[in-house]
Amino acid sequence: MAGAFDYTPAIVLLPFLSFLLALGVGRSMPKGGALAGIAATGGSLLLSVWAMLAVANGGTYNQTIYTWAAGTGNSFELTFGLLVDPLAAMMLVIVSLIAFLVHVFSLGYMNDEGETGLPRYYAGLGLFTASMLGFVVANNLLMAFMFFELVGLCSWLLIGFWFREEAPPSAAKKAFLVTRFGDYFFLVGVVAVFATFGTAAFAGEGSFPALAEAALAGEAATEINTFGFAPQTWFTVVGLLVLGGVVGKSAQFPLHTWLPDAMEGPTPVSALIHAATMVAAGVYLVARMYGFYALSPTALGIIAFVGGFTALFAATMGVVKREIKQVLAYSTISQYGYMMLALGAGGYIAATFHLMTHAFFKALLFLGAGSVIIAMHHNENMWDMGGLKERMPVTYWTFLAGSLALAGIFPFSGFWSKDEVLYEALAHGLGGTPLLLAAWAMGLLAVFFTGFYTFRMVFLTFHGEPRTDVARDPHGVGWNVKAPLTVLGVLAVVAGFVNMVPVAKLTGAHIEFLHDWLAHGLGGLTSEHYGELTGQFAGYETGYVGSELTTVLLSGALSLGLALAGAGLAYKLYNVPAPVEHTDRLGSVKTLLFNNYYQDEYQVWLADTAARNVARGADKFDQGVIDGVVNGISSVSLFSGSRVRRIQTGVVSNYAALLTLGLVALLLGIGLMGGWFL
Amino acid sequence: MVPAQWYLMLSAAIFCIGLFGILTRRNALLFLMSVELMLNAANVNFIAFSLQWGNVTGQTFALFTMALAAAEVAIGIGIILVLYRNFRDTDVTKATTMRW
Amino acid sequence: MTDGPDAGSNLLPGLAAVGLFLVMVLAFAGASFPAPQGFGGDANVTASIGYAMFDIGNLGDVGAEGFLAAFLIVAIVLDVAIDGAVFLAKREEGGSVVTALTDGGRDLLDRSREGPNAPRSERGRDAPRREGGDE
Repeated sequence: MAGAFDYTPAIVLLPFLSFLLALGVGRSMPKGGALAGIAATGGSLLLSVWAMLAVANGGTYNQTIYTWAAGTGNSFELTFGLLVDPLAAMMLVIVSLIAFLVHVFSLGYMNDEGETGLPRYYAGLGLFTASMLGFVVANNLLMAFMFFELVGLCSWLLIGFWFREEAPPSAAKKAFLVTRFGDYFFLVGVVAVFATFGTAAFAGEGSFPALAEAALAGEAATEINTFGFAPQTWFTVVGLLVLGGVVGKSAQFPLHTWLPDAMEGPTPVSALIHAATMVAAGVYLVARMYGFYALSPTALGIIAFVGGFTALFAATMGVVKREIKQVLAYSTISQYGYMMLALGAGGYIAATFHLMTHAFFKALLFLGAGSVIIAMHHNENMWDMGGLKERMPVTYWTFLAGSLALAGIFPFSGFWSKDEVLYEALAHGLGGTPLLLAAWAMGLLAVFFTGFYTFRMVFLTFHGEPRTDVARDPHGVGWNVKAPLTVLGVLAVVAGFVNMVPVAKLTGAHIEFLHDWLAHGLGGLTSEHYGELTGQFAGYETGYVGSELTTVLLSGALSLGLALAGAGLAYKLYNVPAPVEHTDRLGSVKTLLFNNYYQDEYQVWLADTAARNVARGADKFDQGVIDGVVNGISSVSLFSGSRVRRIQTGVVSNYAALLTLGLVALLLGIGLMGGWFL
Repeated sequence: MVPAQWYLMLSAAIFCIGLFGILTRRNALLFLMSVELMLNAANVNFIAFSLQWGNVTGQTFALFTMALAAAEVAIGIGIILVLYRNFRDTDVTKATTMRW
Repeated sequence: MTDGPDAGSNLLPGLAAVGLFLVMVLAFAGASFPAPQGFGGDANVTASIGYAMFDIGNLGDVGAEGFLAAFLIVAIVLDVAIDGAVFLAKREEGGSVVTALTDGGRDLLDRSREGPNAPRSERGRDAPRREGGDE
């Protein structure tokens, strides 16, 4: 049992090794380093599964591996360490599995298409995977932050992979800068956590969530510095600072604008970013330090509201997009909104559940889209497709499974997780937290839009008559595309069965495996503990319409009904031999949606006016005050130096005279002090 | 015997005469002579205190001072030669190239 | 040359030396010492110095410290000083080494006649000599 955890560092180091290999000798390797990457991620997958089995047997691992900076006295230490608990083990398997499949898929998408710069591509993928895995197993916030930044760097490298074109570098820069804006707050938050608690460990007796909990319960063993605020207020502030990084990485409103642009990167990279690595990092971080957020009802409320709003907001924008990857991009934003909603509503398990199912079906959808894009000779416009159903059956059926999961249709995986998210929000909302009800309503409404845009995408792409010559005679795809699709297609169908809450409630059968999974593990990091925390500190109680069972069924029926309604509308409008654009019926709303609510324009305006003025002021301050002081001091010493140096005449008699006078003065001084002349 | 402070005053007088020479003369050779005066003022002190404490350490040291003074003169004359070569003069106020 | 009878050297800095003398006299006048111990009437001071200089036991009549190391160091210093003096007095001219010892001081004599205001170029010995010596 201990053996699995001894090899945990290798999970992170294997992809890193493949990064080094691809970077160093990738040119001379077969397939440009792809095989090394596949081997490394495959190895990581095996080790992750082993670790997961070890965790399933009741083992956990929380160990500091390396202290790279230690203060003296009782100041804090900066360390690298590993934390493997049920949450991390699950995420390890998800990340390494998706990374493995993406590597395989890249053989078809990149190698077979004759792309250049493959070593660079596989080096990027390897580093991306390694940094995400490192982030997952980080046992303290600073290490998490470092890997968080590495993930951001890798996304920059990969989104801008085709750097010779115009759009990808710009999109990469945008992704980097927008997430960096959020990470800035995260960094301040990390410093605040260190300053407050003197530690940034996630788990254990002296971890910062445990210390915060003790402080709020009035039984703090050690004094913590809250900078003059009430502990509750200060914890909320710190939590919101860290949340800044989460909002940036997980593409929540208002920092979501980078994500649709990030579609400029290669499609397998999009799959990796959206399903398992970069975007998931934000939500995972909240789940990782959920014991801290659970203490602050304000932070939870903000998380829930931002999540619910983002879910609806992004879903409406996805309705009008023409390109298949754009639709998927907005669906990603929307789905991560659901996860945030669940976390904010106290549904730790629901969020984790949705994170897992979403990882599978969104990776599936992106890889399916990648398959379609190969077939369409890299044309992504859905209006040029149509009728691909007969010509690429494997892609169609797997893509359909992913779409059903995304739309939340019974009994695909997305239904179970999304239903649980909405149920948690509803139950806690009814239990006396009305804000959650508003967030729930937005999330529920988004279900309709999700169903609509998902099936609009499916019908436009695969159904009807082919609208272009390319769609009539698509490019074939190989095994290396079909195999990952099949694996993920199966997972998208069955992943929801690990946690069928409504069925369990209905039949009384004990089939809530994910609940059990997350309920054990390290003390203080279990879902039960989080439930107690939200109840005790955030006042979350469950309320029901009638009984618990009716609420569960009502919630499930509502979301399923809305999803079916959305899908049905899409069926009616677009499942015809020659669909036409219906967006004109939306009138002025269409322009608004096409322009993404003018979010980009507004942010550019903000940057142009506010940021530029602030920068100008800072420049003035720097040039005027700081440089002025520095130059002033230097000119004083220059001036005095040019005067004082006149003493150095070069005439030795003058020096002697000065020496003599100095000696006389010294003797007089010492003599007067010592009483020689009395 | 003569009290020690009289020796001290004698030594101070010799020293200050030497110093006076250095401060007022401009010829480097006279500088050397003045420095000899000052060194010998120190010798007077050595010997005075040798007598004061009944110990010949001071006297022995005075001998060393004389030897070192000889060395100093040897170097000093050499320097004066170089000075003369470079400035065509032994006037110390003319050699002012090492100034600001 | 400088410092002739009418050199008119500036006496003002000399005041500093006078001041130093006054300060020292003031300090010494106020000081008091015990009566000198002296060497004793029949002590052989010179022999004691000799013993002290070579660190030969306590044979002398008057006490002293050992000075053998200082003696050797001063010997080396004197040697270095004579070498240094020779080095400084040497000059290189046209590739040939003309030492202060071998030219018999003629060089010095020649140029001393040109007076102190001669520019320090190598106008040297070919220039017309000015009669009349020093200023």
